[in-house]
Amino acid sequence: MVNPVLLIVIPLGLAFAVPFFGFISKKIEKFIPFVALLFNLIVSLRLFPQVLEQPIHVSIGGFTPPFGINLVAGPVGILFTAIIALVGFLVSIYAFDYIKEKDQEKYHILYLLLLTGATGVVLTGDIFNLFVFFEILCISSYSLVAYFGDKAGIESAVKYLIQGALGSSFILIGIGLLYGRFGTLNIADIASNINSVHSISIFVPLVLLITGFGVEAAIFPLNAWLPDAHSSAPSSISAILSGIVIEVGLYAMVRVVFTLFGASSVLNFLLFLGLITLLVGELCAFNQENIKRMLAYSSIGQIGLIVFALSIASSSGITGGLFQLVSHTLGKALLFLAAGYMVYRSGSMNISSFEGMGKKMPYTSLAFTIGAFSIVGLPPFIGFPGKFMIIKAALFKQEILFIVLVFFILLATIIEGAYFFRVVQVIYFKGGKGTLIPKREIAPISVLIPIFIFVGLIVVIGIYPKLITDVLELSASELLNRADYIKSVLP
Amino acid sequence: MIFLSEYIYYIGAFSLIFIGLYIVLVKKNLIKVIIGLSILDTGINLFLITLGYIREGTAPVFSKPGLNADKMVDPVPQALVLTAIVIGVAVLALAVSLAVKLYKHYGTLNLRKIKEQKW
Repeated sequence: MVNPVLLIVIPLGLAFAVPFFGFISKKIEKFIPFVALLFNLIVSLRLFPQVLEQPIHVSIGGFTPPFGINLVAGPVGILFTAIIALVGFLVSIYAFDYIKEKDQEKYHILYLLLLTGATGVVLTGDIFNLFVFFEILCISSYSLVAYFGDKAGIESAVKYLIQGALGSSFILIGIGLLYGRFGTLNIADIASNINSVHSISIFVPLVLLITGFGVEAAIFPLNAWLPDAHSSAPSSISAILSGIVIEVGLYAMVRVVFTLFGASSVLNFLLFLGLITLLVGELCAFNQENIKRMLAYSSIGQIGLIVFALSIASSSGITGGLFQLVSHTLGKALLFLAAGYMVYRSGSMNISSFEGMGKKMPYTSLAFTIGAFSIVGLPPFIGFPGKFMIIKAALFKQEILFIVLVFFILLATIIEGAYFFRVVQVIYFKGGKGTLIPKREIAPISVLIPIFIFVGLIVVIGIYPKLITDVLELSASELLNRADYIKSVLP
Repeated sequence: MIFLSEYIYYIGAFSLIFIGLYIVLVKKNLIKVIIGLSILDTGINLFLITLGYIREGTAPVFSKPGLNADKMVDPVPQALVLTAIVIGVAVLALAVSLAVKLYKHYGTLNLRKIKEQKW
């Protein structure tokens, strides 16, 4: 058996080893993230069968919980670890040719730190440890947004940093209040005692934690940083920010709401918040002329949909939400990578500059189209089963309220379709009339490989969703049955 | 008066937190906003320390005879604060270095004037 600690230790160690490898040869620096994330991917996939039977617990330093820091590798943790490793691995291949300017070693260090932080957040069973990993994630993403050092990048990094730092402060105050009340930091230990105190006294920490994690998860009133940061970061980082960072923020929020507090009373509030986030994101995306901004607003919309699905809080609702989360991660990472390369070639982020791309860059355009169709939710791509499961779960509640809400979700999907199809139309059917067929510029192989692996995953899981639904159902039951979680950590 | 002496640290901590929040939300100059973040951090650290503080308590040394557990200061919040200080330093250092770059690009630190990116 491989110890799940290695999932955190190996990338963290290799991150700081990057400059030392740089002494040997500058050329091998860029393969370090590749190696580290390949290791994570293999380990997390190998742990899967074991975790599905029984969660793995690791107490660091031999202190049994609730005293030491412990890692809980349950179905949710390993599912997220595998997604992080997969997307990180593919994006690290993309970065071979994409990241050429400036100090590459800084990029690779920060990139590995970001993914280490994300892995740590999803594996830890200690609320303060979660905060520390969350800060590793946040600080490295602030600096990666500003990696190019251009005007837009610096401005959005400053905005992101101020809002993110406020969010983190709220989280820390919330953790302090919880520690003052319960005298422990272990999630399971707090969860087992949470019903013993009056609900007013845990309401303040709950609100603070939801607000703090909501900043990173880009829930509606707290998402002002997202379109700027996602559109001015390097495209490989936009893919990570959109595919991993907001999902990890969402994970932390869900873990707090479902496991730590078991707060079913805020779920209705989150349901509406999710719906508003969905509508605001899609409506703003419809207006954009800048392709990366459009994708960023679309991420806000998708996050809203996931929050909505998770707040239904039935087994099928959470399964649908997690499925939508996987589909958004794969689809949006693919879209950012493909769009990033087209932006790199055309030199402009304006949608109109993509005219004739269908002939110039046929493979990248095809991949972009598949990603767009998947996000909109057309069969046979992965987006379709996700949306279908969410709507089925909402209708299964058989309440008038949910039928009205489903109407809004379908409306948002129509808006989503409208702006994605507009881009696809520009790529394939506009420009190039009467002129010569433009020269083909096939993207380099290191760009095409990750893009087409994403396309393959999107199509395969879209055709055969059973591949992952079993895992997702187990994850949903881990989130819903907090008594089991507590019992498995504190025997 | 007894109330005040009992809760003075909490009052101080939350005053610092609210002063910091006010500065971050209201001030226009980026350097002032960073100072606000710093004050906010200090307030939170003071709050965490206060959680475990006992007046005239000592460090938890179990080998000393005649020392009861109720006279020991809780060491966990102090470890938390140490970590929180380090994180705060990293965030502030990054913020200040971004401020330098921002000034080079725009020639101003007034956040109301820097608005190329908007909704």
